[in-house]
Amino acid sequence: MRLAVLIKQVPDTRSVQMDETTGTVVRKSSDAILNPLDAYALRAALLVKDAAPGSTVTALSMGPASAEKALREVLALGADDAVLVCDRACAGSDTWATAVVLSAALQKHGPFDLVVTGERATDGDTGQVGPEVAARLNLSLATFVDEVSVNEEGLEVERKVETGLERWRLRLPALISVTKAIGEIGLPTLAGKMAARRREIPITTAADLGLDPATIGLKGSPTRVVKIFYPTLARKGRQYRVVDEASLADSVEAMAKYMAEVSAV
Amino acid sequence: MSGYAPVTPEIAARLEAICGKNYVIYRDEERLEPYSRDEIPGHHYRRMPEVVVRPQTTAEVSEIMKLANAERIPVTPRGAGSGLSGGAVPVFGGIVVATDRMNQILELDKQNMMIVVEPGVIANDINEYLHPHELFYAGYPMSMETCYIGGNVAENAGGGKAIKYGVTSRYVLGLEVVLPSGEVMELGGKLLKDVTGYNLLPLMTGSEGTLGIFTKVILKVIPLPKYQYDLLALFSDSRTAIEAVPATMVESGITPTSVEYMDQESFRSACEYLNETLPYQDAGAMLLVSVDGNDPEKMADDCEALGTFLEKHGASVVYVADTPANSERIWKIRRNVAEAFSLYFPRQSGEDIVVPPASIALVVEQFQELAEKYGVTIPCYGHAGDGNLHSRVSAPDSWSDERWEETLPKILNDLYALVAQQGGRISGEHGIGCKRLSYMSTVVSETYLNVLRSIKRALDPNNIMNPGKIFTV
Repeated sequence: MRLAVLIKQVPDTRSVQMDETTGTVVRKSSDAILNPLDAYALRAALLVKDAAPGSTVTALSMGPASAEKALREVLALGADDAVLVCDRACAGSDTWATAVVLSAALQKHGPFDLVVTGERATDGDTGQVGPEVAARLNLSLATFVDEVSVNEEGLEVERKVETGLERWRLRLPALISVTKAIGEIGLPTLAGKMAARRREIPITTAADLGLDPATIGLKGSPTRVVKIFYPTLARKGRQYRVVDEASLADSVEAMAKYMAEVSAV
Repeated sequence: MSGYAPVTPEIAARLEAICGKNYVIYRDEERLEPYSRDEIPGHHYRRMPEVVVRPQTTAEVSEIMKLANAERIPVTPRGAGSGLSGGAVPVFGGIVVATDRMNQILELDKQNMMIVVEPGVIANDINEYLHPHELFYAGYPMSMETCYIGGNVAENAGGGKAIKYGVTSRYVLGLEVVLPSGEVMELGGKLLKDVTGYNLLPLMTGSEGTLGIFTKVILKVIPLPKYQYDLLALFSDSRTAIEAVPATMVESGITPTSVEYMDQESFRSACEYLNETLPYQDAGAMLLVSVDGNDPEKMADDCEALGTFLEKHGASVVYVADTPANSERIWKIRRNVAEAFSLYFPRQSGEDIVVPPASIALVVEQFQELAEKYGVTIPCYGHAGDGNLHSRVSAPDSWSDERWEETLPKILNDLYALVAQQGGRISGEHGIGCKRLSYMSTVVSETYLNVLRSIKRALDPNNIMNPGKIFTV
């Protein structure tokens, strides 16, 4: 099987800051990391690869040149190849424009039997790109996958939903987005790290993909961020002071009444 | 035998007058109990305080000391209670002075690269505060997320970065100390050099609360290294791993920030405790080696050199963590060994021996022979790079409490003797406290002890300041 994993480099959530006037994330390239949820996607792909010998895993990312750091990390963790789509024309892409670019890249470097993504990226937090890619490329789609296995009949996945547990059989080619339930990926080994550091990561441009600049980047993005703000947290507390049995009873009654008022019970 | 006065309701009322009614805990078993112990596992070292006071100012601490000194009531200063030698345990009851309300970062002096803090500030909070300024306080110990800086200074705590950055005392430039008499004394200041009289700063740093209570600390800060990379090397057996430690320090040509050792029992307990999924089951020992710096390329080079070096010295696999998340994953294993042990081995004695770094492999081997001799286990882990090992003497489940209590002193006497033979000491960073007090005379000279006693008597003639710690007066 040919497997692809979609990878995003995101700001480290521990050092992230928002610019409230422009509505964008203040990015410092030194703090950029592999989207933590993408590590589960890689793990899922490697599990499938183990179950289907002879498979290959290609990591694919759209981002600035510095995103090759995230790609080297997944190479060190066991991906076979990496492709970076890097072009000024892609800057400012929303989820749709990103899906346009990634779909084209998957077609150019494919065909792939299975595309795996993380649940979402920790910066944009939308979880839309995977399904959009599936829609554009007409792939079978399963989101929020907890377990994945392959057999002769294709791919079987398990996902938890509000109503219970679903087990699906997917026709290939397919795209799945996976959750943390897939399990932790290992740590990169020294050998993996040294090999990944020396790998050439090919750069693909929008022109290579034959994309019309009007359909990608800021121009190709239907989404507009109108306003961002920090939600205000207002915690309301009431104290009841108990000094004797009578006040205890009164306090309990008052608390029960208050909790009913605010629909806490 | 103590000759100390009890804390009467009148005394408690006077303490309330000093600190406010809300900040005195008296005749309330349930609320006093947490102040009866530190992080030593088990109940053996617990002693109930008679009263706990939680002052907020130096003046309040001073008034408390004046009262206690006049009335001959013992005073035990307390930070977060995360110590491992009983330093904060009120051996003779009396007053516990909790510093949790003195928790302000008073000043960051960027011009001088110094920070002034109160004793109740959590060590890690100092670094969180410094982080946006790209500065760093390097003296913190492994319990950084809970411990207070006041306790760190009192114990002269060491940490995971001691090989490169040294321990707490290297960063303490000034102290405000309330003496047992209640007088307030300033030591040092915002100075990098100072030979005006005796150098009392290092005397106070590590005095385990027996000479005074710190109410203000001036710390040196340094530029924050931008990156830290870590290597986790798995070895098939402990001997190969521990022998690689001095080799790494001497021959690799790189100064790591840490070289931490974990034997099989140690990392297995921690990994199990953390549900860690790394394939550690077949390993016999682990080394955690860290480097820090500002140039990622140079650091990647260092990691490759160190990793290859460790492989050459017998590591079966070396993992590389060059992201904060992966670093945290590795360090979490190391940081949780103690807690995991406390859970899995109810009867144990956590030791903190220190030997010349080159002797570390020898003592680890000798400890295993000792363990066999007594039919116990002595898992070892710790800051192997600076010769400081945490060995946990642990009894088998089949042992009765009586057998354990009878045998432990014999084991410890033997263990400390082995350490002394190598020119080592019985505590590197946890302190003597009340836990190791009875062993002091077996490992240091009488002359040394007498000098300690003279100092103690000069500053605390009534022996009210954290009595029952370090040595017998």
